[in-house]
Amino acid sequence: MEPVRYVDLLNQRYRAQGFPPYEWTVNQPEELTPLEKPLAECRVSMLTSGGVSHCSMPTWDAYARNDFRLDTVDPEAAGVDFSVSDSYYDTSDAQRDVNTVFPIDRLRELEADGTIGSVAPRLWSGFMGRIYKRTHTTEVAAPALVNELKADDVDLFLLVPA
Amino acid sequence: MGLVARVVEAAGIPTVLVSTGRDLTELVCPPRSMFVNFPMGNPFGPPEKPDYQRDVLRAALEMVNTITTAGEIVDLQDTWPVDFTDKVTASLLAM
Repeated sequence: MEPVRYVDLLNQRYRAQGFPPYEWTVNQPEELTPLEKPLAECRVSMLTSGGVSHCSMPTWDAYARNDFRLDTVDPEAAGVDFSVSDSYYDTSDAQRDVNTVFPIDRLRELEADGTIGSVAPRLWSGFMGRIYKRTHTTEVAAPALVNELKADDVDLFLLVPA
Repeated sequence: MGLVARVVEAAGIPTVLVSTGRDLTELVCPPRSMFVNFPMGNPFGPPEKPDYQRDVLRAALEMVNTITTAGEIVDLQDTWPVDFTDKVTASLLAM
C-alpha cells in the first residue's frame, strides 16, 4: 500500500474543526553528526512521544496540547509496567505490548546480544502529541534534553513518534 | 519529534527517528529516518512478536552506519498484512 497521506488528512481535519490552514514546518537538511564509534560500543537512549507512562507515574492526558512534561524512564523497567494514553492513534496494540511503540525490552536484548554497547541510564517519554510551540521546542525543551543526554554520555539517540 | 532530532543532532549526538508518517517526516526532515509503512502505534510491528520487533529496532539503529546524507529516509521493506488507509482516514476525520 502507498504511505498514508497524513498531511492531507490533517489539513482536512483542521479545516473541519474550523481552524485556519495549518502552516507545516518545512525544513532543509542540516549536517549529520557522525557516529564516533562502532554501534557495538555505543550507549543508546530513546525517546517516545506516544503517551507512554511507567506505572509509577500518572498516565498522560490523551488530549493534551503543548504538554512539555518529560518523564525519565528507568531502562531496567519491564515493558509490562507501562500504560499508553494518546487520542491521536489506536493505542490498543501498544497497551497490550508497549514494545510496539517503545521497545524497552528489545533495547535491553540488543545490549545483551552485543548489537549495542549499552542502554543509557535514562530513557525518555515526552513531547507527546500536538506540540504547536515550535520555538519553545527548539530553543528551550530540546536543548534541555540535550544537556541530560550529554550528562549520560549518550552516543546515539533513537526518537520514536507513535 | 523531528524538530527534537534536529536539535539533538546539531548539538553533537547522532540521532535516528523511526517514522510511520512518510509525508510528515519529509516535511520536518530529521537528520536520519527509517520509514515503516505500518499504522501509528506499531512502528516496531505487532504486539507480542519480540523477534520481529527486535529486528526492526536493530535495522533502525544500524541505519546510522549506512546513511551518509542528511535528511535521508530509508524505507523498511516490510509490509503490514492489511491496508490500513481507510481505518486511519476514518479515525483522523472523526476526531
